[in-house]
Amino acid sequence: MGKLKGVSILLGWMLLASPALASYVCATDDLGEEICLEHPAKRIAALSPGATELAWAAGAGDQVVAVVAYSDYPPAAREVASVGSHTRMDMERLLELQPDLVIGWVTGNPTEQLVSLKNMGVPVFSIEPRSFEAVSNTIERISILAGTEAEGFAEAERFRQGIADLQEAYAKADPVPVFYQVWDEPLMTVNSQHLIGEMIELCGGDNVFGQLDRLVPRISAEAVIAANPEAILAGGMGEENRHWLTRWQAFPSITATERNNLFFIPPSLVQRPTPRMLEGTQLFCEKLEVARGRRP
Amino acid sequence: MIRPITLPLAVLAVAGLIAMVMSVGIGSVAIAPADVLLVFLGEGSNLHRTLIFELRLPRTLSAFATGGLLAVAGALMQVLLRNPLADPYVLGLSGGAAVGALLAMLAGLGGAVISGSAFAGAMLATLMVFGLAHGTGSWTPSRLLLTGVVVAAGWGAVITLMLAISPARELPGMLYWLMGDVSYARAPWPGLGVLVLVCALVVPLGRSLNVLARGPMQAAALGISVRPLEWLIYILASLLTATAVTMAGSIGFVGLVVPHMLRLVLGNDQRLILPACALAGGTLLVLADTLARVVIAPEQLPVGVITALLGVPTFLYLLYRSR
Amino acid sequence: MSGNKRPPMQALSTRELVIDIPGRADGYPLDLTIKSGQVWGVLGPNGAGKTTLLHTLAGLRAPRAGALFLNDVPTTKLKRRALSQQLGLVFQDRQDGFPATVLETALIGRHPWLAPWQMEGADDLAMAERSLEALDVLHLKNRLVSTLSGGERQRVAIATLMTQSPHTWLLDEPTNHLDLHHQVAVMKLLTDRAAAGNAIFMCLHDLNLAARWCDHILLMYPNGETCWGPAERMLVPDALERLYNQQLATVEVDGAPFFVPKRV
Repeated sequence: MGKLKGVSILLGWMLLASPALASYVCATDDLGEEICLEHPAKRIAALSPGATELAWAAGAGDQVVAVVAYSDYPPAAREVASVGSHTRMDMERLLELQPDLVIGWVTGNPTEQLVSLKNMGVPVFSIEPRSFEAVSNTIERISILAGTEAEGFAEAERFRQGIADLQEAYAKADPVPVFYQVWDEPLMTVNSQHLIGEMIELCGGDNVFGQLDRLVPRISAEAVIAANPEAILAGGMGEENRHWLTRWQAFPSITATERNNLFFIPPSLVQRPTPRMLEGTQLFCEKLEVARGRRP
Repeated sequence: MIRPITLPLAVLAVAGLIAMVMSVGIGSVAIAPADVLLVFLGEGSNLHRTLIFELRLPRTLSAFATGGLLAVAGALMQVLLRNPLADPYVLGLSGGAAVGALLAMLAGLGGAVISGSAFAGAMLATLMVFGLAHGTGSWTPSRLLLTGVVVAAGWGAVITLMLAISPARELPGMLYWLMGDVSYARAPWPGLGVLVLVCALVVPLGRSLNVLARGPMQAAALGISVRPLEWLIYILASLLTATAVTMAGSIGFVGLVVPHMLRLVLGNDQRLILPACALAGGTLLVLADTLARVVIAPEQLPVGVITALLGVPTFLYLLYRSR
Repeated sequence: MSGNKRPPMQALSTRELVIDIPGRADGYPLDLTIKSGQVWGVLGPNGAGKTTLLHTLAGLRAPRAGALFLNDVPTTKLKRRALSQQLGLVFQDRQDGFPATVLETALIGRHPWLAPWQMEGADDLAMAERSLEALDVLHLKNRLVSTLSGGERQRVAIATLMTQSPHTWLLDEPTNHLDLHHQVAVMKLLTDRAAAGNAIFMCLHDLNLAARWCDHILLMYPNGETCWGPAERMLVPDALERLYNQQLATVEVDGAPFFVPKRV
């Protein structure tokens, strides 16, 4: 009994004697691991272009010390040191920048590299936002770890509200059969599990390939003709890949071609799970409205 | 067969040591040689210690082990087939091992199972290539190479299929099987252990291998039990390849280039060539990987790119010269 | 090397031996004994199975029936290494896998006598050089075998067998590619080895070399029929004409018969 008492006194003393415990910040990542930092992160490494945008959205842009290739938004991100591509990071350069928080990408970064970072004692917060709500709460969780909750929660709420407004506006819209073209060669689309699929649904679209198993299925042109979408949206920028859409003009049997419902959506607005998706979704919904307007 | 053995091996060992020192000293973060020395003396900054002990040293040792394994595997297969063009990558062993490893990964298995599965894949690939190429006749170079190339292409297709149907989360980790890369290799010791063990096993067999290199009939007439010896070499070459592939994916042409260069200089006594291959193959891959790390830093190249750029011209030259 | 000391009398014998040539009837089983001091010549037309017989005697091919004995011990009971210390073979065809020098090639003859981890010593080197000297190719010792002429390679192969120094020498057409002088030199070397206690058993396509140098003859007919015995009983025109399906004229030179094909 006396022994036990001694232990509990010791424990109590330890708790009291380590004031750092009081200021711990914790968040659970998308692998289900709880990441706790003694102090809010001051040096953040964002290992995907999306993570970089989310860090900025969370108000932690100034703390970002390392990014990967193609981290082009916001423009300030281009000034940050790059540690190579997200598929193969330069671990030396990354460690040299001494990050106290790494934001990893579950399906984008090599697991081996993330694991070895963890083994070296670098906190790794792995993210994989797959829904509008996930975008908001990822921003919130990052802001907690970065100690920028005020900004982060405000931005997350702005995004949440914006999406909710759109949802309300298009809740009763007539369904439009939509084909979303991720890439041209090979021809790729998304299923309904994908964030873009969610976007289509929100705008009152009906993803003609939503039922496919793979997140980003490869399909044939014939399948598109057979599915006969009313609108085709391509994630291209219009100028350099005009042929992505002009190829469909050869098939007037597709309703989308017949009514000229062939649209471009800037991919950076829809293909990265970031607050810019709000803008992208607005654009998406507007295009579908145009398609509805062209109905005979 | 009558040349001194210790001198060339000593020279190669020193070259290997120099390459490793260079590899540990060079990286995308500049560390002064004096600081590197300090780290090894147990001092130096925390960052430097992490960079050297956690990143550079394991990677350098892994590269050395992988290169040595592949070069010895290549040399053994060349003796077995009496054909200097034999190589685990060209003959599709690496592909088979990669498929085995990927299958285990897809099934959600880890660690030793992946290695065992890679070994089974390499063995299966060996049996397929040798069995099909042998047919009823003997191993003619063209028949063997064609069989190997076709089987390797088949493995490539299977790998692509498996990548296409695997969950996205596994993809970045799986992709490196396609183009060998030592950047994820963390545990060099099993590979080095297999390398040392196999060398210790085959060097006493060296003279038998010399005789076997003159053809199975001649070897049998000189008192060699040809079938068991051939089987032993099959198995060892598969083991070496599988170990290398589980460490670093399929890296091509090391098994081709290294034994060829060494035979030009050192002759063809397997008692010398095999340990020399271990040392020179290791050295080559350490140098190639150092290059891969720094040539377009911070972007990282897989080391397989460098070895292929070296190996393809060598292979074509050999093929051209062999008429 | 201790391995070179051998009992004075030794014999390789066959019992009811039928060599395995696919698609051919069994023919006449062989019951012959090749003893120390004998020089055997195997004669027969192309395709009679001379090479197959040599490979079977060397234990490289399984016979269809019958057994082989080395000093009354079945060769199947012997380890391959032990067998190759007693029995050596010069092949008719040789393949160059990897480049090797003449000396290296001769030295592989020491393989059966060395333990796995053992390197070739000065004794082995001396033996190889003596053999190369005996075959008049020592001056080529540092050349690559692939750069030699056919006759030079043939002599290197015989020197390799001499370095192996088995008791029984099996040779497949040992005079192939050789010029006249070297043919004689090689036949003399072989008969000298027999006189020193070895047993020599060789396939020959030159009837007259056999008549000149061999004391025992084995005739092999294409249909599998065989007959054997002392040379003077075998080398009679009737048997030889039937063997080669060729009319022969016989003259006598230096006390030995000399056979010349008749003009048709």
